[in-house]
Amino acid sequence: MSEEETDVMIGLETHIQLDTETKLFCGCPNEEAEEPNTHVCPTCLGHPGSKPRLNKKVLEHAVKTSQALQCDVNEEVFFSRKTYFYPDLSKDYQITQYEVPVAEDGEVEIKVGDEKKDIGITRLHIEEDPAKTRHKGGDIGNSDYTLVDYNRSGTPLLEIVTEPDFTSPKEARAYLQQLAQMLEYLEIYYPESNFALKSDANISIDGGQRVEVKNITGTAGIEKALSYEISRQKQLKKRGREVSQQTRSYNQNQEITEKLREKETEEDYGYIFDPDLTTQELDEEFREKLRAEIPELPHEKFKRFKEEYGLKDKLVEALVSVPEMADDFERLAEEFDTNLAASWMVGELKKVLNYNEVSYDEVNVESGAPDFLYVGLRVVLSHLEAGEFNQRKAEKYLRDFVEQGLDPEKEFSIDDPKADNIDLGLNLKDYKKSGDDEITEFVKEAIDENPDAVEDYNSGDEEAVNFLVGQVMSISQGKADPKTAREKILEELE
Amino acid sequence: MNLREVVEGEKQVDHEEFLSELKEKNQELNFMREITQESNTGELNGIPFIAKDAICTEDTTTSAGSQILENYQPVFDATVIERLKESGASFYGKTQQDEFGFGTFSTNCAFGTPKNPHDKERVVGGSSGGAGAVVAAMDKPLISLGESTGGSITNPAAYNGVVGITPTYGRVSRYGLVDYANSLDKIGVLARTVYGTAKGLEIIAGEDENDQTTSSKEVPNYSENLDETEGRVAVPKQYLELDGVEEGVMENFQDSIDELKQRGFEVEEVDMPLLSADIAVPAYYVLAMSEASTNLAKMSGMRYGMEKDPEDFEDFNEYFSEVRSEGFGEEAKRRILLGTYTRQAGYRDQYYIKAAKVRTKIINQYKEVFEEFDAVISPSMPNIAPKIEEAEDMSPSEIYAMDTLTVGPNLAGMPMISVPNGKSEGMPTGLHIVGDHFNEQKILDIAYTYTGGDSQ
Repeated sequence: MSEEETDVMIGLETHIQLDTETKLFCGCPNEEAEEPNTHVCPTCLGHPGSKPRLNKKVLEHAVKTSQALQCDVNEEVFFSRKTYFYPDLSKDYQITQYEVPVAEDGEVEIKVGDEKKDIGITRLHIEEDPAKTRHKGGDIGNSDYTLVDYNRSGTPLLEIVTEPDFTSPKEARAYLQQLAQMLEYLEIYYPESNFALKSDANISIDGGQRVEVKNITGTAGIEKALSYEISRQKQLKKRGREVSQQTRSYNQNQEITEKLREKETEEDYGYIFDPDLTTQELDEEFREKLRAEIPELPHEKFKRFKEEYGLKDKLVEALVSVPEMADDFERLAEEFDTNLAASWMVGELKKVLNYNEVSYDEVNVESGAPDFLYVGLRVVLSHLEAGEFNQRKAEKYLRDFVEQGLDPEKEFSIDDPKADNIDLGLNLKDYKKSGDDEITEFVKEAIDENPDAVEDYNSGDEEAVNFLVGQVMSISQGKADPKTAREKILEELE
Repeated sequence: MNLREVVEGEKQVDHEEFLSELKEKNQELNFMREITQESNTGELNGIPFIAKDAICTEDTTTSAGSQILENYQPVFDATVIERLKESGASFYGKTQQDEFGFGTFSTNCAFGTPKNPHDKERVVGGSSGGAGAVVAAMDKPLISLGESTGGSITNPAAYNGVVGITPTYGRVSRYGLVDYANSLDKIGVLARTVYGTAKGLEIIAGEDENDQTTSSKEVPNYSENLDETEGRVAVPKQYLELDGVEEGVMENFQDSIDELKQRGFEVEEVDMPLLSADIAVPAYYVLAMSEASTNLAKMSGMRYGMEKDPEDFEDFNEYFSEVRSEGFGEEAKRRILLGTYTRQAGYRDQYYIKAAKVRTKIINQYKEVFEEFDAVISPSMPNIAPKIEEAEDMSPSEIYAMDTLTVGPNLAGMPMISVPNGKSEGMPTGLHIVGDHFNEQKILDIAYTYTGGDSQ
């Protein structure tokens, strides 16, 4: 059987840790703590007599996300207790939603290459995260002892469950990337934060048994985990063996999946309504208020950018991938050629950022100026359009600008981006092209000082011109335009 | 000396005398789980208060009558404790109770069975048995906090011949109550007089941000508003036809009806089919046990419950099982097993979900009656307090049947009060008065009228 014929079905259950100020059911700070078990209180430790109280902000996040995923939001929702015994649960039950989740029945369109596909969203619900466990000296089955840190206990999670609509690891990855981007637009999730996005995947091939792979972190991990699992299942089939229904975990270091347990029957959690939490009404007014807060989402922005600016798909995709970059682009597009602006933002600037290992929004935050990159780009684009920068100089300027701006010693302030001197100590003169007369001087100097090269040229070695251009560039300290220099050298040598 | 006289400043509590009497009586009757003394001043003028052991107290262990929590020391006071202390009441300790509230007679206590002050061979009632007995035993003004899930306040009130009020569900914060069945649990007050229960309730009632199920409705000044009243009360036919109501109990109830009529009340029989023993009782036990089994999950020896040496066990499951087998009493284990069963996939629709629907119907039935009547009355318990050994010989289902009169209104979350209405074979009996949601004032007033303005 060839690979293409394999009928793969994948469904994802994704947990998003929400970056709220306080935990889901108590007032403890929802943030990383220096010491274990310091951000805890009777409620998240499950003390007898303690009671949960709902953080309403989480409900807002959940409803917004539901609407963005085109789900039907339920009018009345409540919470349930899911009982199981495991050392990470302080109460030995988890508060989650079972019968009636916040929302059901949504849809999201993904794109892999040029292919578009709709992925069904089964449900979206809220639940609390359990504590963190560390099994010392092995995994849970054979460790010497287990440490439990309850700082994470009660952190809010959104769980988004898809239909088994994915047919390849690439699609699953595209979905997660799109989901992460959408959540970022909704200001619910920030990829830079410590709040993780974790998925459990259900995979079956050729209509065989379903295997669940748990705890796959991030968007890159999903593709690797699924690829491994699919090839494992294929190998089994090839050797004539059955794929058994089991639960596996993803080992991120070795990039393999490992068997956790053979699953013969569904686990029975004995759900009941949580009688400590009241029913929450998500009425039309509440939903309308939140709907109004939803910004233009990435796919909508993509569509509009295509129509308004007529850019290539790749450029738009990259611009839209960072909300702040998309906003800056729109401002720059009012002043400059849209293609020039877009290709500089997506091309040269991205290289500089990657080199410095910072993201678009981080630079702005670190520099202390929200418009930092916008200002830098304006300087570059305006001088490029005026023909005052050449490509290489502009790149250098942008690199220096970002790097100087990241230096905590430097204070950033540019009142007038067109001004010649800015506080970062970058002198625009250093980046500008040399004038024609000046280049003529440099060319003469290069020719005078390199009679050997001139001789080589005269004896038919055209490569010698390149050497002379290099000399002009070095004498001009890079200010000369290499194209003009070449023309002038050839003129002189004729 | 009564509670009103202390509140109004006419008399003072002698704390030394109170403490020594408490200790002395307890030697004999074992109604206290732990005795402490903590004085306070304020509106309540140092009136002693005592709490059922399931109510968390910061400086006193809180075991909920269970061995598994024997040494558990809460890190906070329950809201009701905080409110009483702030009002100037003085805390005197914790009372014996059935383990986690699981019982009708306080014969399921991990720390010994308390004895009835009227007859030491008899039970005190459950599950807030100690809380009822201490009021009867101490001839002093005293506020005793009980907790009712299916009748645990009005039951011991009747058996001990004291007044006990169970408020509307949501009227009093459950924050700091070691949960039995959260959708049914209510903290209430036992005292010698209707006035005492009214005073205690007005202090502990009211919205609490730590308990989302509390109501924001304003709390009336129950004690100041107490007034003699008239009205219409209903007697459910199903209660009159109930098997196993003792003759003496029924006679006292008939006398109560006559007394109420004399005081200007109209009394009428009504048909409330859902209150019959084979509907309300099973629905109550299914819901209560389902919730209880999840509440008790945390008592696994992981964070709560007794500790064992993990080295002795193969894995976590074995460890948890051992702790729970040893730490829980027989009735707790029975309820955990039954409660786990009724909420399991495949059975939950048949039991848990169905019971929840029955509850809604019972509420609606009460609501219909309250459109025409001010209260529903019945005997509080079908019998007088049985002898301890008789109680211990009863089968669980016989015991559950004893709750028939109290589980209906408890399931519906209605407020109810039990006032003494005479004696049978030398033991007290009680009159049960059930009112509409948040209509505590009305049942207090009826009880006040019935007792002749607390002049007894």
